[in-house]
Amino acid sequence: MRRLLWLLLAAVAAQVGAAPLRLEQVAPGVYVHIGQHKDFEEGYDGDIANIGFVVGRDGVAVIDTGGSYAVGMALKEALRTITRLPIRYVINTHVHPDHVFGNAAFVEDSPRFIGHAKLREAMALRGDGYLRKLTKQLGSAAADSRLVAPGETVQDRLSLDLGGRKLELRAWPNAHTNNDLSVFDATSGTLWTGDLLFIERTPSIDGDVKGWLAAMDALDKLPAAATIPGHGPVTRDKHQALARQRAYLDALLRDVRASIRQGSGMLEAMETAASSERGHWQLFDVVNRRNVNALYPALEWE
Amino acid sequence: MKNPLQRLCIACCSAGLAALALPAAAQASWTALQQSHFPGKTLEAAPFIHLTAPSRAPSGEQVPFAFSIDHPMTAQQHIKSVTVFVDENPVPLTAVFHFNPQSGKAEISTRIRFESDSPVHVVAETNDGRLYVNAATVRASGGCGGPVNGDNPAALAAAGKMKLALDGPFKKGSVNQARLLIKHPMYTGLQRDLRTNGFRPAFFIDKIEVSYNGKPVMTADTAIGISEDPFIQFGFVADQPGSLQVRIRDNAGTTFRQSLEVGG
Repeated sequence: MRRLLWLLLAAVAAQVGAAPLRLEQVAPGVYVHIGQHKDFEEGYDGDIANIGFVVGRDGVAVIDTGGSYAVGMALKEALRTITRLPIRYVINTHVHPDHVFGNAAFVEDSPRFIGHAKLREAMALRGDGYLRKLTKQLGSAAADSRLVAPGETVQDRLSLDLGGRKLELRAWPNAHTNNDLSVFDATSGTLWTGDLLFIERTPSIDGDVKGWLAAMDALDKLPAAATIPGHGPVTRDKHQALARQRAYLDALLRDVRASIRQGSGMLEAMETAASSERGHWQLFDVVNRRNVNALYPALEWE
Repeated sequence: MKNPLQRLCIACCSAGLAALALPAAAQASWTALQQSHFPGKTLEAAPFIHLTAPSRAPSGEQVPFAFSIDHPMTAQQHIKSVTVFVDENPVPLTAVFHFNPQSGKAEISTRIRFESDSPVHVVAETNDGRLYVNAATVRASGGCGGPVNGDNPAALAAAGKMKLALDGPFKKGSVNQARLLIKHPMYTGLQRDLRTNGFRPAFFIDKIEVSYNGKPVMTADTAIGISEDPFIQFGFVADQPGSLQVRIRDNAGTTFRQSLEVGG
């Protein structure tokens, strides 16, 4: 009796160690875990971005790995409930910590790590700061998290074959970041945009707004049965989602430019710019302030 | 319904109050700074030094910061200099601003760097040698050692370019406000350089001199705690139309000039 109890406890403990993430099947062989809309400063747990994978005949490609080693492991646990096929590729859509710190969980599977041509440099520049911040945010839950740089990078396009299933990778000019990569699964018509598209969560800017708007025009023209944004639910109406994001970015640009023209100052703009959009987005105040803070000094030199 | 500026003011005032009770580590930094910069001197608490800073900044790179000192600015009695410290920064001494009666008022609006959460202390010295202090606390991070974004050769080529403009219409006989924007990377010496695997050498504006019709109105000794592409708003008294002249110098010794004809 006692022995049975110990076995039960051990089984429970093992499950707590790597509880598989909840997955959503977008199309046959396409799975995503939808992250929660939490800010980096308040209750951050490393599980805020959309991460997932595509299963081919011969292997699997993971697309983004989450914000910590633990989240990466939980994604892998979930993946292993679906398929035993080898993990051939780990693709990062951009450098942001909520998308890449889980890479470390996949190193033992020896996949090819793939990212934008500028991802390696971005990781090298930001890695130390990102890890310091993660340790501060997550404490012991940050254990074993580290950045794993891509072994292979994409200058413009790259096609990956999973066996009867091709993934088309596309590197974008400076947009949400200077290292955005999108992934298109032609078999199912699923487009992974990374953070080139936000749904529900306020879009955050770390690259070039004008470049981002141009990338959004191009994304709008791509055929896609389903679109997986970097944050927020999967959509079958990419056009509308892009239009909403455009409305926010346009309002932000318009209001920051007006504030610069009127000389009312950055501090005031941080409180007021794009406020017409406040009701449409989650985490608006914190993310919008950050955007204005980044954008204002740059737009003064237009 | 309060307007945004009133709300900001409340935020800054409460930040100021919070600073009165510094945590032990922050208090140690400030004690050390006082001992090295003002040995044997008494600093009097001065609520008439008004500070504006967000209690929580979205990033440590471009933290909006302003001080405005309610004090006479006559030949007999004026604020001579104002020193700004960000206590917990690798280089806490951020800037020293020098004023005179032609400044109209000892006030500056700028953007500064915070490497981590820190008090910002402002010490004002009068012409007769009295020292006044006030402080605010800001939560922010990564401002000094964070990654350099953007293109290094382009940043160096554009360094020294300036924009100078009046804030509002010219007011003859009273205090006018001017805004100075300087294109400059303000490298801190603490930012990684991937080519050398070391750090990018510090490269920053270390002197700003402003005169109106040949008379100095404001001078600043600036350091790496001033944000990239510096923004400085300052006041000056204009008895008549004339020429506002700015001369800046970087730590390599290169100087740049900009001027603005006002009131003509």
